[in-house]
Amino acid sequence: MSILTDISENLQKGKAKIVKELVAQAVEEGISPEIILNEGLLAGMNVVGEKFKTNEIYVPEVLVAARAMNMGTQILKPLLAASGVTATGKVCIGTVQGDLHDIGKNLVKMMMEGKGLEVVDLGTDVSPETFVQTAIEQNCRVICCSALLTTTMSVMEEVVKKAEEAGIRDKVKIMIGGAPVSEDYCKKIGADCYTVDAASAADAAVEFCK
Amino acid sequence: MTTRERCMNILHYKDTDRIPAVHFGYWGELLVEWAEQGHISMEMAKGAVHDGSPVQAELDKIIGWDCTWHNCVYPKLGLYPAFQRKVIETLPDGSQRVLTDKGVIEKFKPGIVSIPSEDDYLLKDRKAFEEFFLPKMQYSEDRAKSEDLIRQYNGKLEYDAPIGLRVGSVLGDIRDITTVMGMSYLMYDEDEELFADIVDAYAEMQYKCVETALKTGLKFDFAHYWEDICFKSGPLLSPEVFDELCRKHYKKRNDLLHKYGIDIISLDCDGVTEKLIPTWLETGVNVLFPIEVGVWGDQFEPARKKYGKEILGVGGMDKTEFRKDKAAVDAELERLKRLFDLGGFIPCPDHRLMPGSKFELVQYYAEEIKKIRV
Repeated sequence: MSILTDISENLQKGKAKIVKELVAQAVEEGISPEIILNEGLLAGMNVVGEKFKTNEIYVPEVLVAARAMNMGTQILKPLLAASGVTATGKVCIGTVQGDLHDIGKNLVKMMMEGKGLEVVDLGTDVSPETFVQTAIEQNCRVICCSALLTTTMSVMEEVVKKAEEAGIRDKVKIMIGGAPVSEDYCKKIGADCYTVDAASAADAAVEFCK
Repeated sequence: MTTRERCMNILHYKDTDRIPAVHFGYWGELLVEWAEQGHISMEMAKGAVHDGSPVQAELDKIIGWDCTWHNCVYPKLGLYPAFQRKVIETLPDGSQRVLTDKGVIEKFKPGIVSIPSEDDYLLKDRKAFEEFFLPKMQYSEDRAKSEDLIRQYNGKLEYDAPIGLRVGSVLGDIRDITTVMGMSYLMYDEDEELFADIVDAYAEMQYKCVETALKTGLKFDFAHYWEDICFKSGPLLSPEVFDELCRKHYKKRNDLLHKYGIDIISLDCDGVTEKLIPTWLETGVNVLFPIEVGVWGDQFEPARKKYGKEILGVGGMDKTEFRKDKAAVDAELERLKRLFDLGGFIPCPDHRLMPGSKFELVQYYAEEIKKIRV
């Protein structure tokens, strides 16, 4: 078994320490950081994402796999930057104003990073202005809004309005997700995309960044 | 016929005169909203409107409800003594990180009232478990004193509703104590054996509490679990892992309940519960509650089709209709009438009523559901 396959398989099992060790070993062996990222870490996260979409695995397996990927990418980040490798796109993500819940948001962030996207994490309780300002300043192609509560989901509509007011609506896609959100709600508020799970959200963001 | 008889008859497929108007309480913010609109007093809104309390009973009368399903006697089933709640850190924006009674650090921000948001947790390894948590998971007589349980029970006799016994939570409480992140890391990466030990220790303590409560001789109409282990896409964890960890504990506890003549065992689980039903039903849990139609898209009918009359339900009323208009509530009443006709099903709002629910629509629903004749 090649070390890249080994990285991918251990990542899928969520074995963070082993993944970290294997990534360091692969670097020492002279494998390029880009190949380790694409054929080891991201390949593993792709399998995780697909299995999550089809309910072959559940939230805990995704969380441990994502943690393993993070430990691997910590080693690779400086090397990737030095070799001029860039992300496949940039998105900003946050939980909307009035809402402090971030498990769903973090899950989407992890899956997006697992697709090679650069994710600007705005945290929780994020105002519509902050979403839009960040998208402008950091040149994000996608804004992702998360909400757990029926009482806070209305902020998503404000984000759409602020993006229109700022004149960036044709340059940025707005994705929404979370427990109370639906496809109908997405259409109603004029957002661009709603997905039923984190893996599908990552797929959609990649498409928007192409 | 009393409400207590009416509810229990329905769940035993016996005759009844009408549908009872059953509810599942309110979010505190809604009560304040209703007080500001002049429907109830602010004193009542900020009073003890918890499940089965005298203030709730008074509010039930104002609205027209018959009762709440959450009318239960509570042994001390959690960490005992609980952790001392304290502020760990106050940040410049006024938000605080607080150590809760469950040993979890939660985030609070001024002006934001919501479901708790976890930031960190203490139960990360065996040392923490054995030193800080295991002593709080031991059974002691203090947890289920006869006089306390009898006092609680007698206090409920004037409120005309089925009286339940809270029998704990096999995994939901552990999820609360470890958080979803901690549960995931322990189960799949760090210490699978430790996670199983935590579940076993906690379940054994709860079993003994339930046994003591049953030995009092009090006649409970039903037993009630709380789990909340599902979300929009289904279970939070694999149904196979859930079954492996929990089946033996449900079986042991439910066998005990059956021995004491309790044949109605309900379980409160938010989210889409479909994939966990086999574990519950095969071990004796037979009432789904609250069957969240509105927010999560759960449904009772598919479960009835799949499992037959063995599966019962309390809930399934889309509470989000209370934010709309009379026509929406009328349509919901029609849908519920069809569900009620299946038998073994009591309509009830599918969770606590949320801010924005219109007082007059809730009143209208409570009155109309009682008019539907069987």
